[in-house]
Amino acid sequence: MIEFSDVRKAYPDGTVALTSLSLTAREGEITVLVGPSGCGKTTTLRMVNRMVDPSSGTVRLDGVDVSTQDPPTLRRGIGYVIQNAGLFPHRTVLDNVATVPVLLGRRRSEARSAAGELLERVGLDPKVGSRYPAQLSGGQQQRVGVARALAGDAPVLLMDEPFSAVDPVVRADLQDELLRLQSELGRTILFVTHDIDEAIRLGDMVAVLRVGGTLAQFAPPAELLAAPADDFVAGFVGRDRGYRRLQFVGAGSLALSDFPTTGEGWLLVVDDDGRPTGWRQGEEHVALGTVHAEGGSLRSALDAALSSPAGRGVAVDDDGRVLGGIEPEAVITLLHASAGSTAGSSPESVR
Amino acid sequence: MRLFGADILPLAAEHIVLALVPVLLGLVISLPLGWWAWSSRGARRILLPLTGVLYTIPSLALFVVMPLVLGTRILDPVNVVVALTIYAVALLVRSVVDGLDEVPGEVLTAGVAMGYRPLGLLFGVQLPLAVPVLVAGVRVAAVSSFSLVAVGAIIGQGALGTLFTQGFERFYTAQIVFGLVSILVLALVIDGLLMLLGRLLAPWAAARAPQRQAV
Repeated sequence: MIEFSDVRKAYPDGTVALTSLSLTAREGEITVLVGPSGCGKTTTLRMVNRMVDPSSGTVRLDGVDVSTQDPPTLRRGIGYVIQNAGLFPHRTVLDNVATVPVLLGRRRSEARSAAGELLERVGLDPKVGSRYPAQLSGGQQQRVGVARALAGDAPVLLMDEPFSAVDPVVRADLQDELLRLQSELGRTILFVTHDIDEAIRLGDMVAVLRVGGTLAQFAPPAELLAAPADDFVAGFVGRDRGYRRLQFVGAGSLALSDFPTTGEGWLLVVDDDGRPTGWRQGEEHVALGTVHAEGGSLRSALDAALSSPAGRGVAVDDDGRVLGGIEPEAVITLLHASAGSTAGSSPESVR
Repeated sequence: MRLFGADILPLAAEHIVLALVPVLLGLVISLPLGWWAWSSRGARRILLPLTGVLYTIPSLALFVVMPLVLGTRILDPVNVVVALTIYAVALLVRSVVDGLDEVPGEVLTAGVAMGYRPLGLLFGVQLPLAVPVLVAGVRVAAVSSFSLVAVGAIIGQGALGTLFTQGFERFYTAQIVFGLVSILVLALVIDGLLMLLGRLLAPWAAARAPQRQAV
């Protein structure tokens, strides 16, 4: 658990990075700090491992005031991932990952073999272990960065815009990977980003900061989208927030329609196993829209309905077999039924 | 091996020692000076111009002045070693600063965040990453040192350079040319060896070409 109480940071030249911040990042959760540049989010992050010391106020890590700790010792117990990974160019991937264990006094050979296992854990082929960082792609480097941060078995992880410099497809992969890892490891993660979509996707709790370092809102992502505290937060979470909020609403009780098997209208074409392959209208054959998988969110259900050429979406089960059709009206009906009850709901269930 | 009335091999050995010991001493002196100039803006503002000025002092003048400054005898090889060390420092302080500047900011940030202490960071991260730039500087300093030793012949400590002074006295062109070529060859061999040493110390620098792969 990381607690900020009345933390203020002013620099000698008079700029105030943080006005007064109080915030608690709970054990085992991803807490995201998000805000425009100049809102002090990186400053806040760096106060945890004493790369920045507050002008006043205290930062506590598991109840212990970090200002009482020797900085290098403190840092070895906290994982840190930065933008562009910041890998050591002169060390192989394996030695990069082994950095903190070696600093902690573990034997190099031991640290290396543990590093090899970590590479697999973050989705890398252990063969890349003998390469130098310059020989990896940006996405691979960032995975190594995550592995390096995990290597010291630190219960707390600080991540400073770790995925900002990679292209959107790779970023989505890395985000998925982080969520998967977190479901296995349950670390306490403080994550900084300027990207509200990333914050909403990853955060159990999201802290929106304004320029000058004041907390505008601290809430679970669904609540942030449903009930922004003020105009600043509403503007920051963006124009599509109503639509994006759908991803936090489960589509479990959605009423599915049956597909007509004959007639003049759109007919769904399925293969021998009952998996959809496309649509047919008369002689015309048209590709499927997006397909809503059972257990997905209302956002994926609505998207399936809206993207289908037939005006109704296709819902499939875990094996990809057709369950039924999704009428846009059914999505709206369910949305009305669930309105108001979702604001405080936990996002885990449908992430 | 005797040529032109001189024992060549001892002369060559003497030349190597007189040229390389100052480079080594210069490096040892330049590392802390360069680190200081790198870490303090004020020190950088004084040290870099100062070392630039040092290099413009004519070598002949420096050799002649050395006994007066050091209180050594005119024929003492220490004169040559000290004078050439000054030149090596003049070249290498800048190399150290440039080498440390090469280390990307995010790598330093990562190093601090991993829990390195300042000395550990310097020897574990900064200096290893400065090696390619440092080696380039040391190569220039070494080659320049080889040619400057020859000037020491004027004060009787020129090693292979004495082939010049004697050649001029006797109007013997072959001896002068031989002296010139032998110094050149020695300098090239040392330069090549230093380049190899650089590759050994920084194998990662050759691995720059990215082999792009699916993530």
